[in-house]
Amino acid sequence: MRLPDSVTGSFLVVLGTAAAYGGWLLPPVPGQPVGPNVFPLVIGIGLALCGLAIVFGIGHTFEEAEELIPLEDGQTAAAPPPQGKLYALRALLPPALLLFYVVSADRLGFIITAAIMVYVTSTALGAKWKLALPLAALSPFAIHLIFGKLLRVPLPAGLLPTPW
Amino acid sequence: MLKTLIEAFALISTWEVIIAMFAASVYGLVIGSLPGLSATMATALLVPVTFYLSPIAAIATIVAASSMAIFSGDIPGALLRIPGTPASAAYADEAYAMTRKGQAELALGAGVWFSAVGGIAGVLSLMILAPPLAEIALSFSTFEYFWLALLGLMCATLVARSSPVKAIAGMFLGLLVSCVGIENPGGVPRFTFGLTDLFGGIEPIPALVGVFAVAQVMRAMLTPEPPPLPRRKFGSIMAGQWKLTKKYHWQMTRGNIVGIIIGVLPGAGADMAAWVSYAMSKRFSKEPEKFGTGHVEGLVEAGASNNASIASGWVPSLLFGIPGDTIAAIAIGVLYMKGLNPGPTLFTEKASSMYAIYLMFIIANILMIPLGIAMIRVAAYILLAPRSAIMPIIMLCCAVGSFAIGNNMFGVVTVAAFGIIGYVMEANGYPVAAMVLGIVMGTMVEQAFVTSLIKSDGSILPFFERPVAAILAAMAIGALLWPVMLWAWRKVKPVRTGVAATSR
Amino acid sequence: MSKITRRTFAASSAAVAASAAFGLTPARAQAYPARPVTVIVPWGAGGGTDATARIVAALLEKDLGQPFNVVNRTGGSGVVGHSAIATAQPDGYTIGMLTVEISMMHWQGLTELAPKSYTPLALMNEDPPGIQVSSSSPYKTVKELAEAIKAAPPGKFKASGTGQGGIWHLALVGWMQAMGLPANQVAWVPSNGAAPAMQDLAAGGLDLTTCSVPEARAIIEAGKARSLAIMAPARNPIFKDVPTLKEAMGIDYATGAWRGIGAPKNLPPEIATKLTAALKKVYDSAEFKDFMSNRGFGTVWGDAGEFASFMDKGDAQMGEAMKAAGLSKA
Repeated sequence: MRLPDSVTGSFLVVLGTAAAYGGWLLPPVPGQPVGPNVFPLVIGIGLALCGLAIVFGIGHTFEEAEELIPLEDGQTAAAPPPQGKLYALRALLPPALLLFYVVSADRLGFIITAAIMVYVTSTALGAKWKLALPLAALSPFAIHLIFGKLLRVPLPAGLLPTPW
Repeated sequence: MLKTLIEAFALISTWEVIIAMFAASVYGLVIGSLPGLSATMATALLVPVTFYLSPIAAIATIVAASSMAIFSGDIPGALLRIPGTPASAAYADEAYAMTRKGQAELALGAGVWFSAVGGIAGVLSLMILAPPLAEIALSFSTFEYFWLALLGLMCATLVARSSPVKAIAGMFLGLLVSCVGIENPGGVPRFTFGLTDLFGGIEPIPALVGVFAVAQVMRAMLTPEPPPLPRRKFGSIMAGQWKLTKKYHWQMTRGNIVGIIIGVLPGAGADMAAWVSYAMSKRFSKEPEKFGTGHVEGLVEAGASNNASIASGWVPSLLFGIPGDTIAAIAIGVLYMKGLNPGPTLFTEKASSMYAIYLMFIIANILMIPLGIAMIRVAAYILLAPRSAIMPIIMLCCAVGSFAIGNNMFGVVTVAAFGIIGYVMEANGYPVAAMVLGIVMGTMVEQAFVTSLIKSDGSILPFFERPVAAILAAMAIGALLWPVMLWAWRKVKPVRTGVAATSR
Repeated sequence: MSKITRRTFAASSAAVAASAAFGLTPARAQAYPARPVTVIVPWGAGGGTDATARIVAALLEKDLGQPFNVVNRTGGSGVVGHSAIATAQPDGYTIGMLTVEISMMHWQGLTELAPKSYTPLALMNEDPPGIQVSSSSPYKTVKELAEAIKAAPPGKFKASGTGQGGIWHLALVGWMQAMGLPANQVAWVPSNGAAPAMQDLAAGGLDLTTCSVPEARAIIEAGKARSLAIMAPARNPIFKDVPTLKEAMGIDYATGAWRGIGAPKNLPPEIATKLTAALKKVYDSAEFKDFMSNRGFGTVWGDAGEFASFMDKGDAQMGEAMKAAGLSKA
């Protein structure tokens, strides 16, 4: 997902302009010399200026190339992973699983939803079923015990209520 | 005095209090160390439990759990680069860099040791200096808060090891996020797009969890399983700490003082104390170029600072019922519920209860050392466990933790969205910590600015006229101009600076 | 064998479906509550509303023999929790704490929810606003303060206590109107709750605050502020020296932030009656009275009918103040 600075910078210019415009449209509040429009306006302009600076490469010299982004281990010698258009989409799996949790936790219940999340994440990270399956079977119960039972967080019961 | 102290001892030496304190300490350590769960949440989830306890035991749980959770938020920060609190976000990169150099025990040992020292310094200030500290708190009006918040924001550029322009852009993004919702001075819904869930705005905690924890899992999806870190013997955790204390005693003291002062100011709290202290440490360090590469100096100062602020944050809470931060706000609720109403009468009529609270703070901070070491030893095993076993649990914690903040599924959506934002930002060299700082400070900057202008009928003079405001203004403007002057100086005299650099 | 089991299962599930479709039979209502009840609080843990809800829930649990679990559904400045109460199943197993915001937010066009969206069960508490000044303020009585406000140009005096359009802002507007002054005679400085406003009052940044006396209590006791009057029909027994507006200057204006228990609309009447009766017992209990007076919270009882008309009256009053302050969208 490393994009050229010109792309991210331009995005910031667009976002900043949109924020400033959105702020501009807000109505003033009676009795307040500085309305709710000013802060978004200032931030939007600031963001757009930063974006411009980034597009033109100002401050780029301060960046310390790749070492700056701490990879998982810092062992740059590791072989590059298989590349491909679809491979990069794997990164979207964690947020997608969280959204899956939002959609189905109330229907399926916490235990089932959590087990699916754990199994999928674990397998996607290369675990064999020998690890992923027990993990998916046990960890939801452990988490439920701590949060649902001891701390009274109302986790949905759904199809499979817990024995406690 | 001695009599009240003995009474206080009697109050806390009941089995109920001792067990409550020990259990809450373990609880605080565990919850604080789980990625995706925060110290504030650890405290909030305790409220229903305190309902069934005696007043002193109830306060004991809050005191113990909050002190422990703030420290143990450093553990996932150091081991996995997933800070548990906005405070530890300030130095998570540094601590993680130390772990990669095989110095996890030094980083975490410094965390536990200087946190405990800071905590005790904070309590002593609470015991001895409560009245003058309270005067400081009451001398701050919105004019002062504006400059303070601005100074806090400037730390974004100092802390990041990235292009300052990108750090500022990250900070602006955070400020933009803080605009969302209805909790602005005008009470007008902003950038809510008609969604009820956005009315309350985006809270720092789900955003923090998203940009650090979820983004970390996302990165793991694309990188191959790393070879396990060189497993050096996990030596004595405390051994090096005394040497560090001697070497960095000035940094530690400065951290304590800054923490105590910032903690006492309502609304600022531990988060800001950690950022300001880390930035100060870098600015005044003899070897600032080492910061960010796994250098312990900043951890010493920031750790000393954020736990000191926790204790001193109770000063305005206990004297005036004004919470220093969100944890103190919850604690005040519990105090009221237990009939220990904040106010000066608490210090006179209920002096023994007050001393009991002081004593519990000291005990909690001493208890932190052995329990913290045990926790570090256990937590260190996650460095050995395969990634495919750790990351799924982190995901689960993120989902449950973000849900539990408001028992609202929208929290989970927020975390997922910030995961993507954090991942993209990080991949392109935008420091996410700067964005977190922007979200934390944004509301305060705007609120202070707008309300100040209402109070002064639109005049900006009071921003410079009030004595404290003038000092803070000078500091803020100085900090703003300093890099520019430095840059200009280097342009003019390139040779001189070259010599200076080598002579270091 | 298995066939019979299946058939009995089918029959019993049909019975459950039938009872759900035709409403609860009296026998079932007798059994209410048969399982734990959720009490939704639209505000965070540790606050005043949360504390009140928890004591009420604990006492209900003691009386009705089933757990009453308090759940803090925060977010959206109270809208999220209030709408969770309104949209829950009206079966008596989800009830919630309604707060004054429900009669304010719909005027600002923030939500469709209004007092009419609920089955009111009982009003438990009301806290009137006070009028506080700093201890270094030259005004010793509310009359002196009012004269000075009248004489000053609009906006010279600054007041705070909560956010723009919050309950204490509307209390100030109502007071100004009762004195025949424009809504903007005193400028409103929005703050993030009562505590920061009281701090700013003590720091010398404000002229007065209009938050409730309990919220100001700690600072008043610290000798940093004074309460001049309360906007209530009667004095607060804990602050006996603070006169009402009527006593001090003959203005008959009273308002307040209130809390009550409500349920989703169309709650079966048997359950509603049972809950209201249980809440009356809670209200009369020594534990509840002690707790509320410890915190300085006012106690006001209103049964289902009284609570409904109380909310309607408050709703109209809020609407008027909102329109006067230019905050209303309706």
